[in-house]
Amino acid sequence: MIRFDGAGKRHPDGTIAVEGLDLTVPAGRTTVLVGPSGCGKTTILRMVNRMVEPTSGRVLLDGTDVTELEAAKLRRGIGYVIQQAGLFPHRKVIDNIATVPHLLGWDRKKARARAHEMLELVGLAPETAKRYPFQLSGGQQQRVGVARALAADPPLLLMDEPFSAVDPVVRAGLQEELLRLQSELNKTVLFVTHDIEEAVRLGDQIVVLREHGRIGQVADPATLLAAPADEQVAAFLGRDRGLRGLGLRPAGSIALTPLDEPFAGWRLELDEAGRATGWTGHGEHRPAAAFDPGADTLRTALDATVLSPVGAAVAVDGDGRAVGIAARAAVLDALDALHALPPRDEAGHGR
Amino acid sequence: MDGEPLVRWYWIGDHLGYLWGLLADHAVISLVPVLIGLLLALPLGLLCTRFPRLYQPLAATFNVVYALPSLAVFVVLIPYTGLATQATVMIPLTCYALAVLLPTTVDGLRAVPDPVRQAATAMGYGPWRRLTAVELPSAVPYVVAGLRVAAVSSISLASVGALIGRGGLGYLFIDGFQRTFPTPIVAGIVLVALLALVTDGVLLLARRVLAPWAGRETAVRR
Ligand SMILES: Nc1ncnc2c1ncn2[C@@H]1O[C@H](COP(=O)(O)OP(=O)(O)OP(=O)(O)O)[C@@H](O)[C@H]1O
Ligand SMILES: [Mg+2]
Repeated sequence: MIRFDGAGKRHPDGTIAVEGLDLTVPAGRTTVLVGPSGCGKTTILRMVNRMVEPTSGRVLLDGTDVTELEAAKLRRGIGYVIQQAGLFPHRKVIDNIATVPHLLGWDRKKARARAHEMLELVGLAPETAKRYPFQLSGGQQQRVGVARALAADPPLLLMDEPFSAVDPVVRAGLQEELLRLQSELNKTVLFVTHDIEEAVRLGDQIVVLREHGRIGQVADPATLLAAPADEQVAAFLGRDRGLRGLGLRPAGSIALTPLDEPFAGWRLELDEAGRATGWTGHGEHRPAAAFDPGADTLRTALDATVLSPVGAAVAVDGDGRAVGIAARAAVLDALDALHALPPRDEAGHGR
Repeated sequence: MDGEPLVRWYWIGDHLGYLWGLLADHAVISLVPVLIGLLLALPLGLLCTRFPRLYQPLAATFNVVYALPSLAVFVVLIPYTGLATQATVMIPLTCYALAVLLPTTVDGLRAVPDPVRQAATAMGYGPWRRLTAVELPSAVPYVVAGLRVAAVSSISLASVGALIGRGGLGYLFIDGFQRTFPTPIVAGIVLVALLALVTDGVLLLARRVLAPWAGRETAVRR
């Protein structure tokens, strides 16, 4: 756990980078710092590993003031990933990854074995080990950067816009990878970005910052999107935040009607495997739109009912077999439930 | 040089051993200073990178020495190191090599991209350890580029030492000139060029072995 206790940084030239920051970063979760350029995100991150020393207040790591710890030793216990990866150009990928184990004095064989494990963990082919950084794509370099940060198994990971220098497709892949890693490893992650979408995707807790590292709001992503603290935070969150917020809610709460029950004169057709092939009724055949209540979000479910030409979507299981019908009204009921409103009259099916 | 052909092959044939001796002497008095220059430039460069205030005065000193005509420096040194001794020629050549190598080394050490340096610090390298483990290896292509310039100019400058009696192949130029006999001059030129070419080749090879990561596209200034 990291605690910022009135932490501030004033540079010798008088610039105030961060002022009076009070913030708790819970252990085992991902906390994302998000805010406009120059608001002090990098400074806050670096106060943790003493690359920036606070000029006021304290930064406590598991209760210990970081300035009481020896800087180099402290840093070997904290993973650090930056935007440009910052790989050592003269070292092969495998030796880049083994950097911290090597600094910690592990024997060479153990360090290498560990580095190979890490390479696999971040989804890189084993033959990448012998390459030099200049022989890798930007996305691969970032993966190596993450592997290097994780190699000595530090409980804490600092990530400063690690994915902002790669194209959107690669970025989405890297975010996916980080979510997967984090679900396995449960590190304390402090992640900096200026991309609110990224913050919403990755964060368990999001810290919206303003000038001088002042806190606009601290909240989980769904709460943040649903209830921004003020106009400024709302403006920063951007348009469609209601819809985007639905992307964080599971679709499991939607009440389903049985498959054999006709919907507004439409009947769902199934093949032998139980997959929906379309709707028939009114002398016509229309395609079906589906979502998986076990894996998808309210946003996907709503999207499916909007797409569906009959006003109801098909709920499917993990194998694509239809399990129920979700009327548009039932999806809207689920939305109402978010705001704790009483259920609509017309949708009487139990939730 | 009326009627005298450019090369009299029999003279070369007769003097193979002599030419070989001059070539070896030339290689020693020109390249050993470059080596010593390198051994001095590396620690000095590290010091100058760690304590940047040292750099300007040191670089200025060696630049001033570099500006002095070599012959003048040889003559000034004679009372201390003696006429026709290796030291008289090699001391100034070492200074010249250093004048080239110190800035290239410092450039190389400073050329490490900022993110790389920051990553190293964040991984837990102390300042000295980072310098030797990250910045120094990254400086290899720069240092080798500096070595190529220093070695070739040292090979060329060493000839001047012949004027005070210790110039390796340079002696062939004086000899040929005094006797209006072009053969030794031509032999000297060819051997100096050959020595420079071989040295350059060895350095390029060294770079490929020491810095395989630098690729071909690495731009090296100077
Ligand atoms: N060494 C320094 N000297 C003076 N001012 C500095 C220094 N480093 C940072 N600052 C200032 O401190 C403020 C915060 O900088 P910081 O790098 O933490 O911002 P950031 O939120 O990470 O910005 P970005 O999103 O652009 O990376 C900025 O106004 C910056 O100009
Ligand atoms: Mg920053």
